[in-house]
Amino acid sequence: MIGIRYQLKSIWKDKFCLMTFLLPIVIAAALNFMGSIDLSNLGKFHFGVLEKDLPTQDVTWLEQYGPVTVYGTWEELTAAVNEPSTNVMGVKADGQSIKITISGDELDIFQQTASTLPTLYEQRDVAGQTEILSLEYPDILEDLEGIFIPAVLIMAIFMGCTFNAVNIISEKEDGVAFINEILPMTSRQYMIQKVMMGFLCGGLSSVMTVCICFQLSWQNTGIMLILIGLSSFVAALIGLFIGKYSEGLMVGVTYIKIIMLFFIAVPIVCALLGVSGPLTIICNLVPSQPAFEGIMALSAGNIGIAMKDIGILALHGAAWSALYILLL
Amino acid sequence: MWKNFCTLFKKDCRMLVSGKFLLMATGFLILYTAYVNLGYVRFMEKEIYNVYLYDPEGIQINVSPLVQSVPTREALDAALLEDTGGVGLSVSSGDVQVVLYEATKQIDRHRADYALSLLHPSPSRIPEQIGTNTPEQKARKEITCELLFFELSAVGFLGIAAVLFKEKSMGVIRVHATLPFQKNLFVISKLAVFLLSDLCYAVLLTLVNVGLSEGTAVLPAVLIQTAILSLVMALTGLLCALLLKDFRQFTLAYLLIAVFAASPVFLSANTAVKFDWIGFHPFYHFYMGLKDAYFGMPIMPGDYTISGFAIMILFFSVQLAFRKEMGKEG
Repeated sequence: MIGIRYQLKSIWKDKFCLMTFLLPIVIAAALNFMGSIDLSNLGKFHFGVLEKDLPTQDVTWLEQYGPVTVYGTWEELTAAVNEPSTNVMGVKADGQSIKITISGDELDIFQQTASTLPTLYEQRDVAGQTEILSLEYPDILEDLEGIFIPAVLIMAIFMGCTFNAVNIISEKEDGVAFINEILPMTSRQYMIQKVMMGFLCGGLSSVMTVCICFQLSWQNTGIMLILIGLSSFVAALIGLFIGKYSEGLMVGVTYIKIIMLFFIAVPIVCALLGVSGPLTIICNLVPSQPAFEGIMALSAGNIGIAMKDIGILALHGAAWSALYILLL
Repeated sequence: MWKNFCTLFKKDCRMLVSGKFLLMATGFLILYTAYVNLGYVRFMEKEIYNVYLYDPEGIQINVSPLVQSVPTREALDAALLEDTGGVGLSVSSGDVQVVLYEATKQIDRHRADYALSLLHPSPSRIPEQIGTNTPEQKARKEITCELLFFELSAVGFLGIAAVLFKEKSMGVIRVHATLPFQKNLFVISKLAVFLLSDLCYAVLLTLVNVGLSEGTAVLPAVLIQTAILSLVMALTGLLCALLLKDFRQFTLAYLLIAVFAASPVFLSANTAVKFDWIGFHPFYHFYMGLKDAYFGMPIMPGDYTISGFAIMILFFSVQLAFRKEMGKEG
């Protein structure tokens, strides 16, 4: 126990570990904060008109659908339409109707809107009188946010490998590793201490991230804690391997980056492409995949899948520990 | 002098290989390519809203084929719950009611008017197109530009600093003070190695993700912008390595650059969210230069002058810091 206290004290002073600890928490808080910022600007329609071209009531009609910018010349208007970062549609008067100019590189929704806008213009007097029943948006996570938050959590959990990996590497660099060899401590004890260190820090960081991002029932909180505990344990074991096989901090950082990238990419790609069949087994060899799937299932209320993933993670924990002991 | 340069250059290349720098770069290249081809281009397919019609009396006969009829009011609600972006039309005793899940006021107005227009369809008029890119080409260019910028300013930068800190900790810089060759060669050889690797990376990333013919057309302009950004990042990395004590201190500076410098640039340059102060953000100009190159927009000669000036200032600062570091030995 005293050993673990010393270990925790030594990483607490390490800026690198402190940053690793805080990064997921800050991102989670930022994501929560972003949810309250009005990013609806992104999917909005933007219109550009020429000065003194459309009558005022038509500009007001356009403003019902999105912001309208007035341009002095045709060149300015075409430059705005062609600008790749926006989806401005140029609107010109065309006899009794209007004519739309687009760049042609817009998403389908903007292209279809542009081709139907003249029809809406012609029917503008009828449409305004219809009753609209607005339903409140159902309380389910948006697609993108639904993937983002588990991804941040996966980052928090598997960042746990950074703590003990960096600690082991700096011990090697400072020569403490040699002193450890003559201390009255077995290599098993050393392994347990280092795993505990990564486990505690990674677990704590993940629990804080969960507190910021999720509101769970008591039962689901228990399952989530088991998921986090097992994943953090596997992450700590991976950290042990990184520490063992890196000669210096730079190489260690590169390894951590590659592994993290892989661990985040596999579950996200699997979730987006909907992998099935034998490929699922291969994906489950990456420990972040069952963790991610479990968290996603839990946020959707599917406890059965979460329990299956807990089983896979437990197998991972046993397999990685056995592998380390064999290689010791 | 040329022979000395070659020796230094070879040594730096070997260092990149041993520092797993190339391995990391290749890993990222594969990941980016997979992301662009399997993920990004697919996300970008976004169709206009679906319209569902519940019309028990069959009053609306002349509706557009885009409208999907549902048999009951419950089926209408279920369809909307499944597809919250969709619009429902419920017809009872001749009156039409629009049912939709609330988004923003303007979007809701458009969704309602669009759905109603489908009840009295008229031929849609193809809008005038003035651009040269298709949506897929635009998406590919945009994402390749973002990935290249991210790679050069965040990932590559970390690699550069890692290599330099290693040299610093090994005392290589101080050894240079006693070597009989020009002191500029150390910095120039480092720049040449990183520039060359970044240029190769840019060529590969562009050709694989933008496409061979499109990619070749924009490549000259992209390479110029890559060279500017690469030199600036390599010089900044060198400066960090010379001024900061160790790699741990650098990780703090890195986090600031990677997260707080790059994200507002992405938001401003790619979306309709514009910040007023973004013009003062130096990374914004580098990013826009790269983006203009990908989209074949003309680049102002003034931009090159400013970039050249920035590179000169950084170069001289690095020289100064380098001499100071060598002097410590003395």
